[in-house]
Amino acid sequence: MRRPILWFALLSGALGLVWGCAGMDVGSVASIAVKTTAKAAQASRPINDSEEYYIGRAVAARILGSNRLCTDQELTLYVNEVGQAVARKSSRPNTYRGYHFAVLDTSEPNAFACPGGIIFVTRGLIQTCASEDELAAVLAHEVGHIANKDGINSISQARWTEVLTTLGTETAKQYAGAGGQLISLFEGSIDDVFKTIVVNGYSRTAEEAADTHAVTTLRRAGYDTGALSSLLTKMMAKEKGGAAGIYKTHPPTGDRLAKVKTAGPGGAPDKMEEVRTKRFQSLKI
Amino acid sequence: MKATAWLKRPRVWLVLLGLAALLCAPGLAGAETLKVTQGNQSLHADPNFSGTPIAPVPQGAEVNVVTKAGDWYKVEYQGNTGWIHRQAFTQAQAPKFGLPSMLFGGGVKETKSDEVALAGKGFTPEVEAGYRQKHPEMNFAQVDQVEGFKVDDAKLQAFIKEGGLQP
Repeated sequence: MRRPILWFALLSGALGLVWGCAGMDVGSVASIAVKTTAKAAQASRPINDSEEYYIGRAVAARILGSNRLCTDQELTLYVNEVGQAVARKSSRPNTYRGYHFAVLDTSEPNAFACPGGIIFVTRGLIQTCASEDELAAVLAHEVGHIANKDGINSISQARWTEVLTTLGTETAKQYAGAGGQLISLFEGSIDDVFKTIVVNGYSRTAEEAADTHAVTTLRRAGYDTGALSSLLTKMMAKEKGGAAGIYKTHPPTGDRLAKVKTAGPGGAPDKMEEVRTKRFQSLKI
Repeated sequence: MKATAWLKRPRVWLVLLGLAALLCAPGLAGAETLKVTQGNQSLHADPNFSGTPIAPVPQGAEVNVVTKAGDWYKVEYQGNTGWIHRQAFTQAQAPKFGLPSMLFGGGVKETKSDEVALAGKGFTPEVEAGYRQKHPEMNFAQVDQVEGFKVDDAKLQAFIKEGGLQP
């Protein structure tokens, strides 16, 4: 009768050790369950955060293929500081690899939001701004496009469905080769996003949503909510001169201005706004 | 026989030890502490990046892992419990300088096998590598440069304070 007690003791100890080892990575069981569920849902899943990041990197690389990156460290740091102050108060404060802001060395006023968090603003658009608050308005608008996933949403549904179908057939293959179907689909996705953000522009609805997002973000960050309307007023005056660049890819500035004025009327500049404007004006742009 | 005589029997102790191991092992082994290696991280109410974060978690902070679910870890930090993406704990790779990387960009990011798994099967670092081979005219070197530009947390806080902005 004593032997069963001994076996029970050994069995209990063994079970304890096995359970203990499993407990060292207590989430692995949950992880397996999540992965299994994810596989089942893959057939119709949306583009995830890391995929958005890789698409954004390639779109940024394409933009930098035809635009010169500004190497002024002081200006780049300043734009990043304003951008980060705004992004952290946006509706999407974090992305897969965070937000990064850079200046393009061109006099044409424009700004581009690459999916995942890389935002470009041209030297020309910074020169159009009269204050830090107006620059913050530009960056808050671009962050809005990323938060609303406007770039990613411009990838054709048919193309993404094809990606998912390809994933189903190529899971066991090494698809790193240059001729892989996925690479072609990746290439097509980059084209979709690039054409939208650089050539054709987002829809009017997306632009209005980004403007609304910008006003809300400016308010949360402590910037003047009227900064976007004051910038748009300046841009409207320049719009009459031509319909290229930012004017071609955005709805008529007058229409945007009317809506933005209602959302963020702004107020008289306070002491701190003057401090911000002073540091903006001290930059060599 | 005294009431405590059974305590002197070694086999009884073995049984008790076994039961103790059975009950305590998962609890002891499950208490995992991880160090946040990346800057600009936050606790989230749900395991996704949408929504306003619960609280910031600075680089170097140590968090207690409550549970893991895929790419997201539920953690405790300074009295707050929330979700943090596993990228917060990845080790940064030292940049390699050299003529080829200056001309054509560094290697595709996320070369570690666990990070490749993290990206999932879809548009991954391997797909980017294939795309780069096909399009050498794309300036990935400068994309790496843009992503490599970091704003120091302390500097950003000072910038925010100086401008009377919301911390």
